[in-house]
Amino acid sequence: MQEIVLQTNNLTKKYKNFVALDHANITIHKGDIYGLIGRNGAGKTTLMKTVTTLTNKTGGSFSLFGSEEELTESKRRIGCLIESPAFFGNLTAFQNLKYYAIQKGIVNDQQIEKVLKTVDLYKEKNKKFKNFSLGMKQRLGIAFAILDHPDFIILDEPINGLDPIGIKEIRDTLKKLNEEEKITILISSHILSELYLIANHFCFIDKGRILKDLSKEELDLECSKCIVIKTKEVKKAAVLLEKEFKTTNYKVIDHTEIRLYDFLEDIAKINKIMLANDVEITGIFESGISLEDYFDSLIREGVKEC
Amino acid sequence: MLNIIKSDLYRVFRGKAIYIVIALILVLAAVSCFAMSPGHIGIASSSIEQTDYDNEELLEKVYETDSILETREIMKEYGSFPLDKALLGANSNLYYFFIVVVVIVLVTDLSNSTVKNTLSSAISRKKYYFSKLITSIGLGTFLILINNYGSYLINLLMNGQEFSAGILEITKLTVLQLPILYGIISLLVCIGFCFRKTGTFNSVTIPLIIVIQLIIMGVSTLFHFDSTNLLNYEFQYIIGNLVADPTNAYLLKTFVLAIFYIITFNVIGYRVFKKTEIK
Repeated sequence: MQEIVLQTNNLTKKYKNFVALDHANITIHKGDIYGLIGRNGAGKTTLMKTVTTLTNKTGGSFSLFGSEEELTESKRRIGCLIESPAFFGNLTAFQNLKYYAIQKGIVNDQQIEKVLKTVDLYKEKNKKFKNFSLGMKQRLGIAFAILDHPDFIILDEPINGLDPIGIKEIRDTLKKLNEEEKITILISSHILSELYLIANHFCFIDKGRILKDLSKEELDLECSKCIVIKTKEVKKAAVLLEKEFKTTNYKVIDHTEIRLYDFLEDIAKINKIMLANDVEITGIFESGISLEDYFDSLIREGVKEC
Repeated sequence: MLNIIKSDLYRVFRGKAIYIVIALILVLAAVSCFAMSPGHIGIASSSIEQTDYDNEELLEKVYETDSILETREIMKEYGSFPLDKALLGANSNLYYFFIVVVVIVLVTDLSNSTVKNTLSSAISRKKYYFSKLITSIGLGTFLILINNYGSYLINLLMNGQEFSAGILEITKLTVLQLPILYGIISLLVCIGFCFRKTGTFNSVTIPLIIVIQLIIMGVSTLFHFDSTNLLNYEFQYIIGNLVADPTNAYLLKTFVLAIFYIITFNVIGYRVFKKTEIK
């Protein structure tokens, strides 16, 4: 069984009468690149700040690496970039990382140089932070997050304000860290298309509530073009699809719904065959939406499936 | 905790501020030694600060002249007195340098939001708070020593042995002043954790020392009582009084007051910080 890196259980954060995080339940497994998607003010940063103890939770609980109690010890294994990257403007990139390296007990300056190389900032190591571009600041933030060989990094909107090339560079860096160093990543963004290219697991959040938590494959299925067949006789309908249409490219969603990913032009024919074989169809229609539309529909429906 | 202190010292000594502060302390000491007259801040000062040359005629002469050279001549004519001891009586000036220390050690970190980098790693708020407090007190002590022994040495070089109280006396007075100075650093640290923004911190702390005196004097005028007793336990007065051979009872009272400051301000500061949302 895969190790659970972060698990939240009804995690709640309230500010007076405003609920910023409402009984959030998420589970992140080792090796995941877990994308947290939501509009501005949806609760992404609050979730991240709560699990990094930058803010105190109001209710619920969470565990890091399976431990609820020894958070300080567990936090040794994580690296964070929460909200915009913040460093000392009068210090250089190297000096800023050196400052945090001393705090973390890292004595070897080569580690600082290594992370600067990883984020392609080595040539700029003696440049003061106040003279950095936004992209360079974000990359220094990532360098800080990976400074102490973390097993898990938490990145809050790391691609915010970056140009397309900057976004690609960060995406490549994160993928490399995930693949080569086996680092689990929790990354938030409101740019769905970009997150789609990085993450392998997605969590949609709005008004502090987790709307949907699903893998990339499940998301693809949810969004891809298909024929939705609504019937109370799912088993019989599935047998018919295999027998009459020689296809297994369908998915039983629940006891009333099948999604067929072939024969998209043959809705009438499918309907006719089903009826001819006494399968009562309560609805049959074509479906398939873009990621943005999918997110929009989740928000509108206020679906809560965790 | 030691790592946070080490990292802060690494950062502090890579900035210019600490060197400017040290240079200013030494320049002020040199000017005071040359003028043979310690300056002070605030709207009132301890009379004891000037005990060592309380001849009225002399004071009149000093007040009449606006030239440092003339002041120096007048003071030399008057005869020997322990100028370095009198300089220590004006150590409340260090308050403004402590503000700089707390800004560079603590408030910059809170104001820039760089604190979140530290607290999101394996460092608890308790460790963070006490590391910052210890670093501030450590750097404060460093500045006190530079000021006191710097003044002693500069005075020795400029004015000679007859105007010095001697290194043992300077050491004794330094030790006596340390508790109340630590109390004041604790107050500044507490204000730093409460306000967390450099601008707000400065606008509260810079006038504070004068405002406190104003309040005491205003209240005493309003209710017609002698403010001297109350002022004797005000920061600037304590610093001045401590160098003027105070009674054991006064020493004990100021020591207790210093301990009260240290405990109270740190309890408040820590409790506020513990509940603070880090932005």
